[in-house]
Amino acid sequence: MSAILEVTNVSKRFAMGGILSRNYVNAVVDAGFTIEEDQPEVLTIVGESGSGKTTLARMILGLESISEGDIKVAGRSVSGRVNRAQRLSFMRHVQPVFQNPFEAFNPLKEVDRYLQASARVLLGATSRAQVEAAMDDALQKVGLSLAEVKGRFAHELSGGQLQRVAIARALIPNPAILVADEPVSMVDASLRMTIVNLLRDLRDQLGVTVIYITHDLATAYYISDRIIIMQEGYAVEMGPARVVLDAPEHPYAKLLKDSVLPVENAGKSRVQPADRKTAQAAAKLSGTGELVLRDDGRSVRLPRDGDGSVAV
Amino acid sequence: MERSANVEVEGKVRMRAYFIFIAKRAVQLLAVVFFGISAAFFITHLSPIDPVQQAILRITSRSSFSPTALVAMREALTEMYGMDQPLGTQFVNFWVRLLQGDLGPSLIAFPTPAMDLVLRALPWTVGLLVTAVIITWLLGNILGGLAGYYQNNKFLKAFGVVAMGLQPIPYYIVAFIVLIIFGFVWPVLPISGGYAMHVTPGWNIDFVMSVIRHATLPALSLVLVGMGLWFLGMRALVSNIITEDYVTYAETAGVDSKKIVGFYVIRNAVIPQLTALAMVLGGIFSGTVITEEVFSYPGLGSLLIQAVNGGDYTLVIAVTAIAITAVAGAIFVVDLLHPILDPRIRVE
Repeated sequence: MSAILEVTNVSKRFAMGGILSRNYVNAVVDAGFTIEEDQPEVLTIVGESGSGKTTLARMILGLESISEGDIKVAGRSVSGRVNRAQRLSFMRHVQPVFQNPFEAFNPLKEVDRYLQASARVLLGATSRAQVEAAMDDALQKVGLSLAEVKGRFAHELSGGQLQRVAIARALIPNPAILVADEPVSMVDASLRMTIVNLLRDLRDQLGVTVIYITHDLATAYYISDRIIIMQEGYAVEMGPARVVLDAPEHPYAKLLKDSVLPVENAGKSRVQPADRKTAQAAAKLSGTGELVLRDDGRSVRLPRDGDGSVAV
Repeated sequence: MERSANVEVEGKVRMRAYFIFIAKRAVQLLAVVFFGISAAFFITHLSPIDPVQQAILRITSRSSFSPTALVAMREALTEMYGMDQPLGTQFVNFWVRLLQGDLGPSLIAFPTPAMDLVLRALPWTVGLLVTAVIITWLLGNILGGLAGYYQNNKFLKAFGVVAMGLQPIPYYIVAFIVLIIFGFVWPVLPISGGYAMHVTPGWNIDFVMSVIRHATLPALSLVLVGMGLWFLGMRALVSNIITEDYVTYAETAGVDSKKIVGFYVIRNAVIPQLTALAMVLGGIFSGTVITEEVFSYPGLGSLLIQAVNGGDYTLVIAVTAIAITAVAGAIFVVDLLHPILDPRIRVE
């Protein structure tokens, strides 16, 4: 068993401000996880806006440079300069799905142009028949067909359809990993589950590992095998999804779970906003703690006080 | 099969909608031209410069006449120019004649038809201005697009600084600087006129070369001043577009970076620039006045100034009519292109 994706101690620092007042913001600090080649899974990264989950995803996709650490895909580092051949080979392994399907397609081009480009460049299809077969094949996997999308522009399709076309496009090179950055947050609620179930089927039937980035704990609980909970750049708790979500340990993980609307109060409008203070206090101390592996397979970053004892 | 039939029906519906769209725009075009030319008619006719008075001044400056002869001349001229009739009648007559393609004789070059004078000057203006505007637009947009995409390129960065520096300088200053540099300091190009005296106008190589040489300086001054705006605009548009998801997506779909710049970035950014081009093409007839004065170019601008100073109604109206029709026509064409360039523009 070999690792298809290795993320080792990855950090990202952004410089903010002008020449005189330069500040650095730590978007991602010391993140690390490994995805095995023949063990498809759904790995979920949850966290609020600004927690660094999208930055982490962009680093994995090679769209953002890495400040520290290393990311290896199929044993090859993706950080640093890569030539076009290396980049193409990388994209055959890892493909993205973005949040807003309406922005993912050039408004002036037919959506199938993207599928064509992927089939030609990444799959190496040369003849028209081969290209169309690859396109239709990928579209069938997401419950569409070439006849339905051919010649269509982005504004002529619904959000759910477009997101499925985007996933189909990502599937054309038969990637091992799909990085889905909030793939359902812009999709109509009634269609959300078709996309989530589609991601599940990709894992179960096609053996694709999905890195599912979301802030929605409900869908995360529903499909995840593993989960990483991020807060202000730190992975504060990670491990098997059920173990972590059934009984979260880190204050922020607890806060997240408490923030899911309980069913028993439906219609009574009586839910108080969860108390953020403990979680915010824990965030301030994140830098002092280290991920500690527990017996149940999860790792928790427990902040420490000055004397080295666990603070919370 | 059912689907292809649907597509065909859809296509027919779209074509029909497109024709209705064209028809609507054409009606608008005609209305704009009508009101524009009518406005020119009233403005000239209500102007305090009296063409009869101007004509008499021109004639009497060379010889003397008896007062009775002057009165007779005034009456004759007033009748000949059709100015003895009320303004409303003049207006109706004016449109009736215009629809027959007749604008009447020029008053300063009587009896040469005003249209002849305009048609003589028109190729100069259109040739110079349209060429200059198109060169400016292409250069500015291509360089601006590349500067937006390759943001670390030193040459393009330097170009941006130069463009920003030239931008605020008034046109006539730049024109004079160009004149001084290439006409006096390093006298390599002619500084005035449309072509050299010794060549015969016509389709011969000497004449064409002479025209190009004479047009170089005015065109250069226009390009220098105009390019910055396109460059900066396009650079800003492109630096926004490259952060769009669909550009990243094209990259992860394996599309070649040159194709991405051309077909995904610049192609999308060019649509607003195209609308702006129509506006600028519309403006060339007012911009031409300064250019032609500075470089003594034999175009519509110089003609218009002569006409205004001489109180030559018909010539002013002829120049204006051409300008209005050309501008409205240019905007019409761009309007027609929009639905073809941008599939999101639905024609209803």
